[in-house]
Amino acid sequence: MPDNRRRHANTVPFAKFVMFLVIGISALAAGLGFVWGKNEMYTTGAQIKKCEEELVQLKSRNVAARTNIAKLTSTAELQKRFNSGWIKLVPIPGDRIVLVGSAPKPAGPGELRSVANERKSP
Amino acid sequence: MIRATNRRAFIACCGLATCFTAFSARLVHLQVTMHDEWLAKARKNCGDRQKIFARRGIITDIHGEALAQNEPVTTVVLDATVVQYPGPLAAVLAKALGLPEAHIFERLTRETWSEKQKKNVRSPYIVLQKEVAQNVAQDLAAQLEQTKIKRTPKSHGVPLIRGVSFEPSANRIYPNGPLLCHVVGLVGFVNGESESEGVDGIERTMDSYLRSHDGYVDIERTRMGDEIVPYRGQEHPARNGSNVRLTIDMGLQNIVEQELDAVVKQFRPKGATVIMMNPKTGEILALANRPNFNLNVQDGVQDENRRNRAITDQVEPGSTFKIVTTAAVLSEKLVTPEDVFETENGYYEWCKLKDHHPYAELTVNDILVHSSNIGVAKLAMKLGDQKFFEYIHRFGFGEQTGVALPGEIKGVVHPPHLWSKISITRMPMGQEVAATPLQIVAAMGAIANGGTLMMPQIVHEITDDAGNVVAPFPPREVRRVVSKKATEQVCKALTEVVSKRGTAKLAQVLGYKVAGKTGTAQKREPDGRYSHDKHVCSFVGFMPAEDPAFVVLVLIDEAQTKRELDVGGLVAAPVFSRIGERAARYLGLTPSPEEPEGSIVAKGGKDGRDFRDQ
Repeated sequence: MPDNRRRHANTVPFAKFVMFLVIGISALAAGLGFVWGKNEMYTTGAQIKKCEEELVQLKSRNVAARTNIAKLTSTAELQKRFNSGWIKLVPIPGDRIVLVGSAPKPAGPGELRSVANERKSP
Repeated sequence: MIRATNRRAFIACCGLATCFTAFSARLVHLQVTMHDEWLAKARKNCGDRQKIFARRGIITDIHGEALAQNEPVTTVVLDATVVQYPGPLAAVLAKALGLPEAHIFERLTRETWSEKQKKNVRSPYIVLQKEVAQNVAQDLAAQLEQTKIKRTPKSHGVPLIRGVSFEPSANRIYPNGPLLCHVVGLVGFVNGESESEGVDGIERTMDSYLRSHDGYVDIERTRMGDEIVPYRGQEHPARNGSNVRLTIDMGLQNIVEQELDAVVKQFRPKGATVIMMNPKTGEILALANRPNFNLNVQDGVQDENRRNRAITDQVEPGSTFKIVTTAAVLSEKLVTPEDVFETENGYYEWCKLKDHHPYAELTVNDILVHSSNIGVAKLAMKLGDQKFFEYIHRFGFGEQTGVALPGEIKGVVHPPHLWSKISITRMPMGQEVAATPLQIVAAMGAIANGGTLMMPQIVHEITDDAGNVVAPFPPREVRRVVSKKATEQVCKALTEVVSKRGTAKLAQVLGYKVAGKTGTAQKREPDGRYSHDKHVCSFVGFMPAEDPAFVVLVLIDEAQTKRELDVGGLVAAPVFSRIGERAARYLGLTPSPEEPEGSIVAKGGKDGRDFRDQ
């Protein structure tokens, strides 16, 4: 075998080797990236789901609390508590109420009028 | 040697190429040609449609107090096909939900024959318990999540929650119980208890607004039943029902209910109704009937108690109907309030008509003040059949008012060609006609409103979740019934009715001018004759007379009292007085500028109400 041919046959094809290495690493990176990405998607999805569930729970607690407030502040409930003496309010007797009517129109301009709270007797 | 090697390599390559081609062809066949079929199968196996729960709209009074609310509850559902450890799961569920463990275990392990799979299978959908309180469901979920069953001591274990799901739902609750029960109404369930539907009251008439529309989202699940969130499909959002805001004021409603309870306790009537309306807008401020029922307790309620007597029952209005005749003749200018009519000393021979108190003659004004049957009959005869019939209709009798409540009836007003010879003398005093309590209050509202009949309104507006108005319900004028001058003249007479001279002195309210009319209608016996013992006592009036804030009808059916005391002026008028006084204080009404003539002003007794005893 001539010298020039032997030398040529034993040469390591660095270019091709590097090319295949790059392709291999790229393929590996792409594959790992895909798996990592997919995994991230699932993990994030699970977190989203958890957050959604928490949100639903909070909303539902909020509605439950509102319902409870509506029950406790309803006219019927307050009346019940008032009747039982839990709410200590005393009705104002009629003789303690002063009914203030409309002011009478002055007879003329600049006229001064006195004010009195009159109570007529029958 | 080289050739043989090449040939073997060639054959191997061909074989590999053939294999890959075959696999590729199969892949193309599966992925492209049979794509839809396999997609459908995959969706069927792993896909699911998840419901997004929407809530029914709420009902509030004019100030926003909740009258019908949703209480969130949960339905516990099991998928026995993915439950791996039914025994431990049944034990936890039984403890949390208070159910027998054996029963849960039996349901989890029960197998039924599946035609599709040709074998016995467990149920994928078991409704274990409905209406589980939110906190109980949340505690149970947390407990199941934490409890893990280990196959071997070193394994991580499987959480018990697998196969258990919690579906949200809601209970309709009514915070005020029996208050306003006939107006708010009820809901029932349709479509296998998944949707609620109004069956009575506002819940029924406003159902199209209140009804919610559940949404859904298509999801995919893993083999173990967990959702794969990235593969979630398009979401169809849930739409909550709109909220209904009523014209009712719960403060006034409470006053009306308390006074109604008091009169029912005192007289034990067969039925009773009170309606309070704003005459200027037609808005119903309060409405109560007896007997009533608790909206939160459905079982064992009699139909009698469910009836909204204000619109479903008709009564002969009695003397309250005299306002129609009087207003009509005054509006037609056939008479003036001062014109004098002979009232036959209490007995009108021609038509066998009697007055309670004999008078030789009365002015038009006094016919109303003394509630003379003979006088009002003569007024109607002056008006004539056709005109009188026309005015009855103008006041809204014989037709539905159009209030947004179910079951309203028209009442009975016969046309003149069906009248007898004496009908023209009977109808003006409220016999031979039948009207609903709401028609009576609306007619009096027309007098209080200067002659314009307003449509009774119970709904103020419909709003969405954000509070935006979806549908307003503005006040609606029905028609002008009588002239403004005629209403002023009638109003003056009605003010005198509620004075020492009139039949309703017990309807007076300290500090305010009240206008109104009593009514005592005899009930008809089954044989068609009028009963002497059974009466419907009523009082319909408004205050302050000079600028009416509300018109109130009090109607008591068959009060248990002495025959001579069973009259509107003694049974119904005091109820009006008490309601009027408390309502005026609640609304902060300015007292009338001067006391009505002949009225009695408080002498400052213990409760300031001494005039009642007179």
